[in-house]
Amino acid sequence: MFLEINGLCKSFGEGDNRINVLKGIELCIEKGEICVLLGPSGSGKSTLLNIIGGIDSSDDGYISIDGQRIADLDEKKLTQYRRKHLGYIFQMYNLIPNLTIRENIEVGAYLSDHPLDVDDLMKTLGIYDQRHKLPNQLSGGQQQRTAIGRAIVKNPDILLCDEPTGALDYHTSKEILNLIETINQKYGNTIIMVTHNDAIKDMAHRVVRLKDGKIRSNIMNEARVPAVDLDW
Amino acid sequence: MKNPLNKRLPRELKSELGKYLVIFLLLIGTIGFVSGFLVADGSMIVAYNESFEKYNIEDGHFMTQNKMNKAQQKAISQYNIELYDLFYYDASLTNGTTLRFYANREDVNKVCLMSGQMPQQEDEIAIDRMYADNNELEIGDTVSTHQQTYRITGLIALSDYSCLFENNSDSMFDSIQFGVSIVTQDAFDHFDEDLLVYSYAWKYTDGMPESEAEEKELSEDLMENISSEVTLDDFVPQYLNQAIQFTGEDMGGDRVMMIVLLYILIIIMAFVFGVTTANTISKEASVIGTLRASGYTRHELIKHYMTAPIIVTLLGAIIGNILGYTLFKVICVNMYYGSYSLPTYVTIWNLEAFLYTTIVPLILMVVINYLILSYKMKLSPLKFLRRDLKRRQQKHVLHLHSKLGFFTRFRLRVIFQNMSNYATLFIGILFANLLLFFGLVFPSLLNDYQNQIESQLICDYQYMLKIPTEMLNSDSKLDTFIAMLKFSYAVETDHEDAEKFSAYALNTDFEDYQAEEIILYGISENSRYISLDVTQDQVYISSSYAEKYLIDVGDTLHLKEKYEDKSYSFQVSGIYDYQGSLSVYMNQELLNKTFDLDKSYFSGYFSNSELTDIDQKYIGSTIDLDALTKISRQLSVSMGNMMYLVQGIAIIIFMILIYLLSKIIIEKNAQSISMTKILGYNNKEIGLLYIMSTSIMVLLFEMMTIPLVDVVMRIIYREMMIEMMTGWIPYIVNPIIFVKMFLLGMATYVIVAFLEYRKVRKIPMDEALKNVE
Repeated sequence: MFLEINGLCKSFGEGDNRINVLKGIELCIEKGEICVLLGPSGSGKSTLLNIIGGIDSSDDGYISIDGQRIADLDEKKLTQYRRKHLGYIFQMYNLIPNLTIRENIEVGAYLSDHPLDVDDLMKTLGIYDQRHKLPNQLSGGQQQRTAIGRAIVKNPDILLCDEPTGALDYHTSKEILNLIETINQKYGNTIIMVTHNDAIKDMAHRVVRLKDGKIRSNIMNEARVPAVDLDW
Repeated sequence: MKNPLNKRLPRELKSELGKYLVIFLLLIGTIGFVSGFLVADGSMIVAYNESFEKYNIEDGHFMTQNKMNKAQQKAISQYNIELYDLFYYDASLTNGTTLRFYANREDVNKVCLMSGQMPQQEDEIAIDRMYADNNELEIGDTVSTHQQTYRITGLIALSDYSCLFENNSDSMFDSIQFGVSIVTQDAFDHFDEDLLVYSYAWKYTDGMPESEAEEKELSEDLMENISSEVTLDDFVPQYLNQAIQFTGEDMGGDRVMMIVLLYILIIIMAFVFGVTTANTISKEASVIGTLRASGYTRHELIKHYMTAPIIVTLLGAIIGNILGYTLFKVICVNMYYGSYSLPTYVTIWNLEAFLYTTIVPLILMVVINYLILSYKMKLSPLKFLRRDLKRRQQKHVLHLHSKLGFFTRFRLRVIFQNMSNYATLFIGILFANLLLFFGLVFPSLLNDYQNQIESQLICDYQYMLKIPTEMLNSDSKLDTFIAMLKFSYAVETDHEDAEKFSAYALNTDFEDYQAEEIILYGISENSRYISLDVTQDQVYISSSYAEKYLIDVGDTLHLKEKYEDKSYSFQVSGIYDYQGSLSVYMNQELLNKTFDLDKSYFSGYFSNSELTDIDQKYIGSTIDLDALTKISRQLSVSMGNMMYLVQGIAIIIFMILIYLLSKIIIEKNAQSISMTKILGYNNKEIGLLYIMSTSIMVLLFEMMTIPLVDVVMRIIYREMMIEMMTGWIPYIVNPIIFVKMFLLGMATYVIVAFLEYRKVRKIPMDEALKNVE
């Protein structure tokens, strides 16, 4: 098993204000899968994603990636782990405003010893013609494509996407989802995507539903729909 | 692959041009000036130190009442010293100044010819370069005594007069009213022998002792030996000779002051960089969070954010150093030449200056920025992503009474929210005000001192009589008695307002401070000039003495003889309000008794009219307003320009700090300002909310720092004055200075507030819609 989550618990606050966000999550994800985490606000899906991404820690349980437990890593090794194995895409693009599109993608490439070809990637992402522009000269969709480029250029084992289409319109959202799917097919990365858009589940290999910090369902999607055919 | 984040740097520098440019210019100015100063100081001090050997400067000198005969000279030479005649003649010139005439020196205290040529004819003269400058004299001009006119052929520096002290006991040198000169031996021989001062320089045949302690011991032994052969009028070993030593000591002191000033400014600039960069980090929190989540290490990001300040500092240091060696060096050399009569110098590459002005500022900048940034970067990537940059969550909201009014409450919230920025602003204002105060208070102190001296003048003419020592030292008691009678008769006056007093000079005896001459006055009961009750064994001290050494009523004074190992103690009964000199007052009878002087002994007269019936040869000196204001006059000349420079620097620093720090506050609140615009507030109302908050704080800090600055300056001033000079200029600040300071500060702020207002107006409304999660 590539990614194994075992008895993961997480709470916030103290005393009477204590909220248990994750209550013993058990989950396994295969390499190259697209896994969609669904659930209402406050169900714990983003927290789970952050713990997988090594930017948050659990109170109990563990996550193991390719046999390596994340909790055993000190801060330096955790940074190296993120550097070598993870790519992050957020709802907000968080691009560096005074770097061009190409340079923003290079920011990701710098972290890898064997990055993907930046020009090829930009062509795949459909932003090659915009490569010399600054982020504020681009549309939201183009900015998100750049953010995806920055995450994917280092060819990470796992691509973590936190509401990647949350700030985008219907058509742009579909384009971005299509792109994520293309990347998965082309580079074979494992993709874990948090969303509360139920329709997105159809493009996933695995659909995990969370509610009140627990997994309510964990289903392998036998009838996958290509992202381009999604509708909501 | 090179870090692509580096590509941000030129754009970052361009987008924050205003911030970087002001700091850059300030760095160039500060580093340039200090570098120039250190290079000038280093080169000049080398020239000064080398002058001891190059010009064969004396190891000391002494003066005798009469010219020594050969037997006496031979006897004294046996004490392992070589003697040189250095007779001089002090003449009042027609321009109102005093010029000291020497015959050309060939062996000791040799002359440095700065320009022109040495005198060849009897009517030719070479005068001190600085005295010439101060009196607007040039080669080819003439100077006249009341008997003779001389044509100036050259401008010189005498190696034993790098600082123009007329007398070694003077509180301050005087390069305006006093100068030294060289005439030919023939011209010198024409002076009346009775008016010559018989000064003899000596050099130790075994060389100068290495330490000052050894020098002191050796010179004290020598003084004892010489005084057993001749009657000494004065005895000045080199280490006590202010005309030789003052320059070197002052140069060292200035150097330390400049380096400290540089470091304070660098630390402030590093803080400004740190605070502004920390603000950039807050602005870019989500980008940083993303980068950290993607695998950028904390160190990589700290390095990235430190690069711009370091590049700016490095460039500032390089350009500052180039300017230091060229433009500023010349300015600083001229400052030295404006105060001291130094010989010619050669610019010397100064490794220390490079270290102090380039390496150390760079290290300070790196360390301070690193500490601030690493503290800021300690937060987890998640916190950055959530823009949750506060380490401690605010648990309690400060309740503000609703009666306060909405705008007041709003402003208070802005103030509470920006406390850390305001704390930095407070330190900045404190420092800028300290500099500004320094620049404003000195000219005022000197001016007030001069006025005070005038109003406190004991009398218009204070005559110190010159008691012919041969009268006291005759082997025959009868001869001495007759001579004293003759003297007593000769120095009697018919002027009704003349009042006799006794005076005796002793040195202070402090462990921590250098010895300083204190004049003890024995005054008559019911004195018309000094209104003190000295009927009993009361001892008063002048207020300047009390202020300088923090002496209070009831304390005991410890004073010692100058040339003997004899000490005296007096308990202070009261303080007499007089700033003209450090002096002690007691009953004349008590003074005479204390120093084993005859009951009828007196040293001089206080008088409001000029005494015309005493022969000039019995008058040692006349202390009048001119003599008393020598200190303030000289300080005004040598420090006046410097003070204007300090004032200018202070205002610039004040503006920069307030501008940069208030800019941060505006930037930090850009989103809220934008939101208030969306809500419908106009620019004026927004200004009242945000700019007014800073205005209130600036006003408050101005009011808080002014008394604080006064306290700090009082301490610095005292230490500085003790270190710098004998005598005392009281620290009495004219309240108008505080008003001036406040007004200058607020006027400066008005300009900054205007710039802030422009910034507020420029904040677009869509700012509020950016990056809000």
